[in-house]
Formats: sequence, structure tokens, C-alpha cells
Amino acid sequence: MKKVLRVAKREFVATAGTKAFILGILVLPLVIGVLMLVIPRMAMEDPPAIEGRVAVIDPTGRVAAGLSAYLEPARIAQRRRQAFERMQEAMPPALRTASGMGGRGGSAGRKVAGSLAGAVPRLEIVTIGAGIGVEQAKQALTAAAPQERPARPDLALVVVHQDAVQRQPGADRFGTYDLFVRAKLDDRVIEEIQDGMRDSIVGARLSQAGLDRTQIEALTTVGRVKSRTVTAQGEGRTNEVLNRLIPMALMALLLMSVLTSGQYLLTTTVEEKTNRVVEVLLSAVSPMELMAGKILGQFAVGLLMLALYLGLGLIALLTFASLGLLDPALILFLAVFYLLAYFSLGAFMAAIGSAVNEMREAQGLMMPVMFVVMIPWLLWLPISRDPNSLLAVALTFVPPLGSFVIMLRLASSTPPPLWQTLLAIAAGAAGVWASLWFAARVFRIGLLMYGKPPSLATLVRWARSG
Amino acid sequence: MTVPDAIVLRGLRKTFGETVAVRDLDLVVPEGALYGVIGPNGAGKTTTIRMILSILLPDRGALSVLGRPSALEAKDRIGYLPEERGLYKRMRVGQFLAYMARLKSADGPGLQARIRQWLERIDLGGVEHKRCEELSKGMQQKVQFLAAIVHRPALLVLDEPFAGLDPVNQRLLRELVTEEHRRGVTVLFSTHIMAHAEQLCDHVVMIHRGEKVLDDRLSDIRARHVPRTVVFEPLDPAAAAEALARVPGVARVSVTGRTWELALAPDAAPASVIQRVAAAIPPARVELTRPSLEDVFFRIVSARPAEHGGAAPGAGAAGGSGAGPAEARP
Repeated sequence: MKKVLRVAKREFVATAGTKAFILGILVLPLVIGVLMLVIPRMAMEDPPAIEGRVAVIDPTGRVAAGLSAYLEPARIAQRRRQAFERMQEAMPPALRTASGMGGRGGSAGRKVAGSLAGAVPRLEIVTIGAGIGVEQAKQALTAAAPQERPARPDLALVVVHQDAVQRQPGADRFGTYDLFVRAKLDDRVIEEIQDGMRDSIVGARLSQAGLDRTQIEALTTVGRVKSRTVTAQGEGRTNEVLNRLIPMALMALLLMSVLTSGQYLLTTTVEEKTNRVVEVLLSAVSPMELMAGKILGQFAVGLLMLALYLGLGLIALLTFASLGLLDPALILFLAVFYLLAYFSLGAFMAAIGSAVNEMREAQGLMMPVMFVVMIPWLLWLPISRDPNSLLAVALTFVPPLGSFVIMLRLASSTPPPLWQTLLAIAAGAAGVWASLWFAARVFRIGLLMYGKPPSLATLVRWARSG
Repeated sequence: MTVPDAIVLRGLRKTFGETVAVRDLDLVVPEGALYGVIGPNGAGKTTTIRMILSILLPDRGALSVLGRPSALEAKDRIGYLPEERGLYKRMRVGQFLAYMARLKSADGPGLQARIRQWLERIDLGGVEHKRCEELSKGMQQKVQFLAAIVHRPALLVLDEPFAGLDPVNQRLLRELVTEEHRRGVTVLFSTHIMAHAEQLCDHVVMIHRGEKVLDDRLSDIRARHVPRTVVFEPLDPAAAAEALARVPGVARVSVTGRTWELALAPDAAPASVIQRVAAAIPPARVELTRPSLEDVFFRIVSARPAEHGGAAPGAGAAGGSGAGPAEARP
């Protein structure tokens, strides 16, 4: 055991003690932090000011005016300001501060307000008489802007249906309108026109029916309230985003730690074989001691990453005053399932490393590992939406996949019953045993094998003959 | 008093696929001996050594190393320099040697000092803090040799230890091996260059196609293979070699440049023949030569029928696609 620990210590120091590792481990949180700060600012850059004409053929004669009023720059700016305030309301206070959007007084907030007023589209509504046909009007959308107004091309053509405001006798439904737009027109402009048309037609219909629009709007509006989550630590605003992110973050953390330390294990094993240092080592330790030491050493590397990122995650939750969202038992389960997933996949990767002559040859043999790693990403959404579906329950007991699936389920709103968790641990342990058995046999033969790279079938043959 | 045996091999056999790498090998190496295992490339030397070290497991047969049924139980008392040797490139020399010593349970307060002394001894003082990749190939080989002896083993196994060394470092390595031997260490080394074995060992084991063809003391081999060749260089370069062929006691004359080799007739006494030859043509040099190990090897091999399917001298070992490990090839 002493020799195993010596090998493990060297493996850990040789991996975690390098500048590349330390930089690598710090880069990810740094990138996330920088993105959190930079993206909101970049998103607030002034959108290009769009100018142009929107032609309307309005046989009802009651829609164009409403559209024109709706698309006035001042009203567009007002609507955007209201949307920004709603977004700010939904954002956690700490993130709001961190991204520089701290209320109207914040620098970014001021910038947003300013840019909203200045960069809104300036659309001129032009009503076309019935004498001009639709096809003829459409041609303006493909032509260049006329010389007298080069900066204001024709952007869209709206053709209001005859029965858009008043139903045809005997018809159940109202008519609507057709919208034709210039190629590559900004989708925000299209949305503004669509919203404007809806607003204008609804107004015209209500007026036609002799109803008071203000009263109807008042009657049909119920303010949307924020739910408040009640926990043992007290009461707080429910954070739907975090609620959904936490299961995924835990699974991603587990996957990342397992895959990174497994990859290091593969690399160092191939290096030892390529450097021809392996036979020197085998004169001092048995193949089993060498493999066990290497697996343990990289286990510690993965655990270090897990602890670091989990610590940063906890600090982030603390900052958002949402620490109560993370059940402490989840951290314990994360450690247990990291152990099970790592030993299953890591042992397999050590076996692959021992069998090949260089990293390039390992790629083909890594397919099963990559397959296992891809499945949790593919099934993340269905499992987190329905954590107790038959698929989720069945996959829980398939090692090493089960470790990732059950982490998603444990962190979900409806965690699995305890027996399923315990059975998943038992299945994971059986998976670890099988993987170590396979790896031990392949490792012993593979370490001294040079020449033709083996296939997966050859590894299986070694394991059976070993 | 009988000397206990450091290595005992009984009927050891190893096959890779269809190829028999080692065929029913028996070998006894007494403690304190200096044994040379010689044979051409692919003869089965490395496979035999790997089985002694329990890096490979034999298909059949039994072995004992330092009184244990497996080298795994005596690893800490064995020093091994494999043919396929390497270092951790990014590791510092001192750290690497300390790591290897500790893996062999040779820890303690004096370890670093001992490593420094050893490095001084092999003219590598001052490289302790350098990374292994910064050393030249020859320096790396000396460090690898230190890794094999730094824990003061009782048995030293060296597989082709002189490969890749320049003559100066070959001599240094010979001195180091001799020092270890004088310290009481049992030494077993393999080489395909038979002159190295002649210079160093007191007992020779020859392996050919996985089989032991010779296992004897060097002095006994020399005694058995008495000198029957006279090397002659004429004082006058224009002298004709045919004149010596007519001298009684000379069976055959072969000419290689200025050197003539005279094979003695079976019953001829070397002293009389040398006198007669020197009288026939004035010599610049006349010398009675012993057969080299190489000559002995070829004599033994040529007398054996080529009945086995093992690897021929110089041929590679089993390929890498069999069920077991092939001999490592760089």
C-alpha cells in the first residue's frame, strides 16, 4: 500500500503541480466571470438605427392610423424601457450589481436608457391607395431606395384584409393581414410591425363593436406576481433560473471532473509507456500497484477540481443569497458519485493508455467513454423535466451512466426515493469492480506491448486471457 | 559451506502466439556471482530477464529469486536496468532518483546525500536539479543506471547495459558494475556484444533461439577451447603467404589484408609451429590467439541442427498481435 501511495503522490504532484494545470483550472471560472460581466454590457451596445418606410394597403381605412401611432419612435422607446425594467426586476440583485446594471442610477442602466431613446427604428407609415396593386407595391421591397430618400428604403408592405375589422356576414372569424418584408430586415422591426398591427386591428374592432378599450384592458389585466420560496432558513424570492441550473451544474461538474482526471490518467499512462519509463517502474512496483497508484493520484486531482469549482459555486450562491437552494446532502452524493463514475471510467482509460503507443491511437478506443459522456448531455432536458420517468429510473441503474443521471434526479424538484439512490450506489460499485477487473488484466499485458495498436476486441481478448 | 542461490530457474518456458521465446530454460546463479547472458538479438534474453523479474509470467516452469518464489516479493532487494529504459522527462534528476529509491523502500535521512555522492561518482555532479530531458542521452543512461543501484540492491539485473554508451562511459559502467560485484552484489547482465561479457563476467550463459546452449565459467570455456590459431604479420609486406601453408603443423592459411591467420593441424604443438613459421618468413608479429566467445558461439551454433521454430539469430521476437507481450522494440 505504501508503494501505491507513493505512485499516487507522484501522479498528483506531476499533474496538479504544473503551471499548465494551475492556469487551466483557473481559466474556466475566470472565463465565466468575465462573460457574466461583459455579455450584458455587450448586449447593451447601441443597436443600428433603422430607417425606412412601411407601406400599408388598408381597404378598411381604420388600421393604418393605429399602426402609425404605435410605431412612433417615442412609443417604441417607452415600450423598450418598460421591458428593460421588467428584466432588471427579474435579475438577482448581486448579478445586477456585478453587471453594472444597478438600477437607473447604474452606469450601464443609464447607458441602456440612453440608447433606447436614441437608437429606436424610425419608420414612416405610407398608406397606398387601392389603385396600386399588391404585386406592384411589392416591387419596392426588392428595388434600391429611390434617389430622393436614399437612407429610407421601403422595408415592408402590409396588406390589410377587407374583413380584418368587420366580419363578413355569416363568417365566424375575422380577417387578418399579409406582411411582406425586404430581405434581411431586422427581426426586431418585424416584431414591432406585427405588434403594431395586432394593437391597431384590436383597437379598430373594439371601436367597431362600440366597446371601451381602456375598460376592457383593465378588466383583462392581472399583474404577474413573483413566487416566494419558503425554506427552513426563511422566505425568499423563488429563482426559477437557479432551480433549473443547479441540477445541470452538478451533473456538468461531475462530468468535467471525471473526464478531466480520466484524460490526465490516459495521458500520463501513454507518456510513461512512450518514455519507456514503465519497465523501470515495473522493477519497483507490480503492475497492479502502478495502476492503483495512478488511478488514486488522478482521483485526487479530480477531487481537487471538484472541490474548487464547488467552492466557487457555493460562493456564487451565497452572493445571490440563494445558498438554501442547495441541499448539503447533494454535496455528499456528488462526492460518492464522483468516486463511482471516476473509478469506472478512469480505470477503463488507464487500460486504454497502457495498450496504445501514442495518444492518437487512443482516440478510437475512447469511443465507448465518449458515448457514455454524451448521453447525460443529450438526456439532460427530458430527465430534469421528468426526473422519475421510466427512462430516468432505468438509466439510474446502468453504471457508469447512473452516477450522472442520479445527480440530475437528486438535484431536481422531485428527488428519487432513497432505495433508488442506494441501488444506484450498489450498481455503481459493481461497475467499478468490473471496470477495475478489466483494466487490471489489460494493463498488465498492454504496458509492455509495442507495435500494432490494438482494437477494442483485442483488449477484450487480453482481459479474458489475462 | 554451500553458497545459496540468488536465481534458480527450472524448466522455464514462454511463448508468444506460435513463437517459443524461451524453451525449458534451467539456470542457477549463486549469490555473489557475476553472470553474463549472451546471445544474438531475439535469442530470448530479455524475455528471460523479464520472467526473472516477474514482469512477465512464464507459461510453465518454476523460479526462485533471492529465496522467494517470485521477484515481486523481493523487488526492494533487486536493481534492474531494462533494455527499454526511460526517465520522466519533466522530473528533476534528484527527484527521479529519490522517487525510484523510495519506491524500493530505501528512504531515510541520508538518501539525498547518497544521491549527490553517486552523481559525483559518475561525473554528473551539479545535475541534481536539472530536468531529465535536459541531459544528453549518455548522461540519461548513467542516471538510469544509478536508479538501478541507488537503493543498494542484493541482486543487480542489467539488460544490455552498454547499449548506446561511448567507450569512456562503457569503461565507467564496467567499473561501477565491478564495484557493486565486489560489494557482494549478485550481477546478471545480458549483452549481444560478446566482447563485453568476456571483459566483465566470470560465468557465461549462452542463449540461442530461446534455448540455453552454454552455461559455464569463462575460465573453463577458455580451457576447453584451446588456442588453435596463430596470427601472423610478415616483416616484408611483399612476402607470399603460400610459403607458410607448406610449414609442417599448419593446416590452412587465410589472408585478411596484412594479417594472416594460420589454423593449426590437429596434432601440431603450437610452440614448434610458431618456431618453424618464424624461421620460414621473418615476422613483424606472431601471436597464438584464443577463440573469442563469438567464435565459441558460432562453433556451438553451427554444430546444432536447425530443428526448432524459434527466432533465428538477429531476428526480431514475436510480433505485437499475439496474446502476450512481445519483446519490446524501440
